[in-house]
Amino acid sequence: MTSATSESTKTYPRPLEGLKVLDLTWFGAGPIATKILANLGADVVRIETEKRPDGLRVVGPKPVGDNSLNTSGYYNNFNAEKRSITIDLTQPEGHALGMRLVEWADLFMTNMTNRAVRQTGMTWEQVHEANPRIIGMYEPMQGNTGPHTEYMGFGAVLSALCGLNYLAGHQENRPIGVGSNYPDYVVNPGHGVIAMLAAVRHQRRTGEGQLIDMSQFESSAAVLSAPVFAWDNAGLEYVRQGNRVPYAAPHGAYRVAEHPERPDLWLALACLTEDDWRAAAAAMGHPEWAEDARFATVADRKANEDALDALVAEWAAAQEGAAAATALQAAGVPAGLVLNATEVLNDPHLAERAYYAYPDHPEAGPRAYDGPGFRLSRTPHEVRGAAPLLGEHTFEVASEVLGLTSDEIGRLIAEDVLR
Amino acid sequence: MAGALDDIRVIDATGPIGHYAGYLLADLGADVVKVEPLEGDPARRWPPLLPDTPEPEAGLQFLLLNVNKRGAALDLGSTEGREAFLRMVAGADVLLESWSAREAEVLGLTPDVIEAANPNLVHASVTGWGLSGPYAEWAYADIVALAMSGVMNLAGFPDGPPEQLPDHQGYHCASINAAAGVMAAILYRDATGEGQRVEVSMHESLLMAQETAMQAADILGTNRQRTGGGGATGFKMPGLGVYDTADGALYSMCTGNAGSGFQGLVELMRELDGPSEIHEEPLFSFVQERMNTGLLIQAMQDPEGAGEIIQTLRRIDDIATDFFRRHPTQTLYKRGQELRVLLGPVNTPQDISESEQLAARDWFRTVEDPARGRTLRYPGPPWLLQATPASLRRPAPLLGEHTNEVLTEAGVDGGALLAAGVAR
Repeated sequence: MTSATSESTKTYPRPLEGLKVLDLTWFGAGPIATKILANLGADVVRIETEKRPDGLRVVGPKPVGDNSLNTSGYYNNFNAEKRSITIDLTQPEGHALGMRLVEWADLFMTNMTNRAVRQTGMTWEQVHEANPRIIGMYEPMQGNTGPHTEYMGFGAVLSALCGLNYLAGHQENRPIGVGSNYPDYVVNPGHGVIAMLAAVRHQRRTGEGQLIDMSQFESSAAVLSAPVFAWDNAGLEYVRQGNRVPYAAPHGAYRVAEHPERPDLWLALACLTEDDWRAAAAAMGHPEWAEDARFATVADRKANEDALDALVAEWAAAQEGAAAATALQAAGVPAGLVLNATEVLNDPHLAERAYYAYPDHPEAGPRAYDGPGFRLSRTPHEVRGAAPLLGEHTFEVASEVLGLTSDEIGRLIAEDVLR
Repeated sequence: MAGALDDIRVIDATGPIGHYAGYLLADLGADVVKVEPLEGDPARRWPPLLPDTPEPEAGLQFLLLNVNKRGAALDLGSTEGREAFLRMVAGADVLLESWSAREAEVLGLTPDVIEAANPNLVHASVTGWGLSGPYAEWAYADIVALAMSGVMNLAGFPDGPPEQLPDHQGYHCASINAAAGVMAAILYRDATGEGQRVEVSMHESLLMAQETAMQAADILGTNRQRTGGGGATGFKMPGLGVYDTADGALYSMCTGNAGSGFQGLVELMRELDGPSEIHEEPLFSFVQERMNTGLLIQAMQDPEGAGEIIQTLRRIDDIATDFFRRHPTQTLYKRGQELRVLLGPVNTPQDISESEQLAARDWFRTVEDPARGRTLRYPGPPWLLQATPASLRRPAPLLGEHTNEVLTEAGVDGGALLAAGVAR
C-alpha cells in the first residue's frame, strides 16, 4: 500500500493492544463492533454457547451441503480475531465463571434484548457490581429505558422503525427498504466503536467506567434524520424520489447497453456542480444539452428533470458500461457502474489497496473477509486472523484467564457448563 | 459532566463527505472549527432550505451536520490563507480534511507540510476512493460509491433501477469510519504523544453493507440481486415482509423461531379478532407443527414438490394480509410486541418526530439559533454515554462567523486577512 499505511523505520503496536473486551453479542451490529476492536489489537473474548449458537453461525452462506457451525461466511466475517469460549451462563457455575470474566475485562458489550440479558445474569447492575471500573456497552433495539425498552427486533424490523424503509425508493412503490439490513453493518457497529473508544478514554483518564446505553433505533435514526429535521423545523413533508436528490441533476442510475455476459447493468451518475454538468454533456457527445435553456441551471434541470433523465437514459442505453464510466470520469464527472459482489471482490482498485483479507480458517479455508473501514499510518488496523471455531478457545481462556486446572475444565465441559 | 473529548480541538476542513465526522466529535465534547472556502461549503445552498432565511444560511443539511461547530472562511489557495491555516493546524489536535492527493498538492497542504506544522497531529483524510489506487483521483458522489461498493445492487425492484440509499449513507459511513479512526488514534496519542494519519475511503466504508452478498460470491460463486423485498426463496413466506395496515404499513418478521414466530402472530390475531379460520383445522395444525425453518428449507430445495405447501402458504399469507389491513399500525405494533411478535412500524419522519419512545428518552434536543431567529429542534446523538454525556452547545455557524476569533487564537492577524480578502 502506498498511501497512509506503512512506515518502515519502526514497528508499531496496534492502538488497542492491552484492552480486554468481554463480548456477549450476537448477529450483526454487536459482533462487528467488537471485531473492529479486535482488529485494532484488543483481546476480545466472546462468550458463546452450544445450546443457542449465534444465528449467523447457522444461516451461512456456507459451501453447499455444509452444515457446520464453523463455516458460515456471514459469521466469520464479523468475528475475525476473537477468542471464543463456550459457557452456559444460565447455569450457576457458568454464571460465576462469566462474572470472573467480567472482573477481568475493561469493557463488556452485549446487543441482546433486555430479556436475554436478564436470563444470562449480565445486567448493568450485576456487571457493574462485579467490576466497578468496567465500561458496559448495552445495545438493545430501543435502548435501556422508555416504554418500548423491551421491544425486540432484527435489522429488518429496525429498518422500518428507523425510517429507512419509508425514505428509500419511489413514492409509488411499497416501502420495501434497501434489500439488506443496512443499519446493522456499518452504522450501528461504527457508532458503537466510537462510543466505546470515548468511554475507554474517559476510563483511562479517570479510572471510571460507565454505562453506554445505545439504542439501535436512535443510532440508525441519527443517520436518517435530515427528513425529520426538515419536518420539525421547516414543516417539509418528505417525498421519496428514488435516485434523485433535491440539489443536483442529472443524478441517478441509467441502464447501459445489454451485454450477453452482463445483462441488467446500470451506470450511476451525479452532476453535483455546473462544471460537472457541462463536462458530462460534452463527454456524452451532446455539448448542446448544456446550452439548452431547460437545463441551464440546476433549478432548470430540477424543473425539467423528467426530460433530462430521458435524454441521459437514451444516451446510456447505447453505451458500453465500463467505457461510459471511464469517459465521464476522465471528464471529471462522478460516475461508476452498479457492480455486483463478484465484480467488487475483483475490483482492481480494491486489489491494489489490498482491502480484502484472506486469513486461513481451519474449517472454512482462506475466505474473503472485509478489511478495515479506516486505515492508520502507524498503529495498524487490519484483519490478521480468521474467526474462531465455536468454543475454540474454551480451554485456553479457562486456564489462562480463569485459572482453572485441566481437570476442572474437563469436569465443567462434561457437565455442560463450558459448552 | 464533561465530554470525553473536552480537551480536543478539531479543524474540520471537509466538504459534505466529512460533516458528520466533525458532528460526532463535537457531540463528544471536542471544540470543532469548521473551515470553509470564502463562498461557503456547498451544502449551505442545498435545498431543502429553512424558510425566511437568507442565503447561504438556510441549507438544512448544513445546519443539521454543522451544529456545535465554530466556523471560519478562508481562501486556502492564497499564500496568507494557507499560512494562517497551518497556524491553526499547529494549535489543533485533529485535522479532518477531504482532499485527494492531487488537491492537497495544488493547495500546498500535502501530508509532509501538515506534519511539519504539527508533528503530533491526528490527521484524517476522508475521500471518495482513498489516497491510493487507480481510482484515487476519480470524482466521487454518494450515489457513485453506493454503486461501486455493490450496496446499490441489492436495493430496488427487479423491473426497476437499482436504488440509492436515502440521506447520504456513503457520506455517513465514511464519516463514521473517520470518527472511529480518529478515536483510535487519539487513544494512541494519549499513551505515547505520537500522532498519525487516518485514511478513509467512502467506497471501502460501504463494502461491509453488502450483507452476505460478498460471501455468497466468494463461497458459492453466486451474486445476490435486488428482489423487491421478496427475499431469495422464490416464494412468499407468510408473515415476512412489508404489509399495509389500516393507517400505514409495518414490517413483519414472524417467521422461523424469531421472537414468537408465526405462531405468535396467530395468537395476536386471536387476541384482536377472536378465533377465525387460522385457528381451525387444517390450518391450525399446519401453522403450529409445520411452519418452521425445516419447511422453508424443504420448499427451497424442492420448489416443485412443494406445490401444495405453497398453496397453503399463500392462503395463510392472504389471511395475514387481511388481518394487518384491518388494524392500525400502533395497535399491531404494541399488542404484538407484548407477545414478542416481531413487528415494526414503517415510520415516516413525522412518526419519528412524535415517537413516544424517543420522547421518553429525551432524544430530541433544541438549540437557540438567534442569528436565524428561531429555536431549532435537533435529532439526538447515536449513543448515551452516562458519565460523559453528549451536548449541543452552539448553533451551526454563519459563514465566517468565527473567522477573526479563531485566527486570533492561532496568533494570526485576522483583520489583515479579512481586509486582504483572503478570509471572510
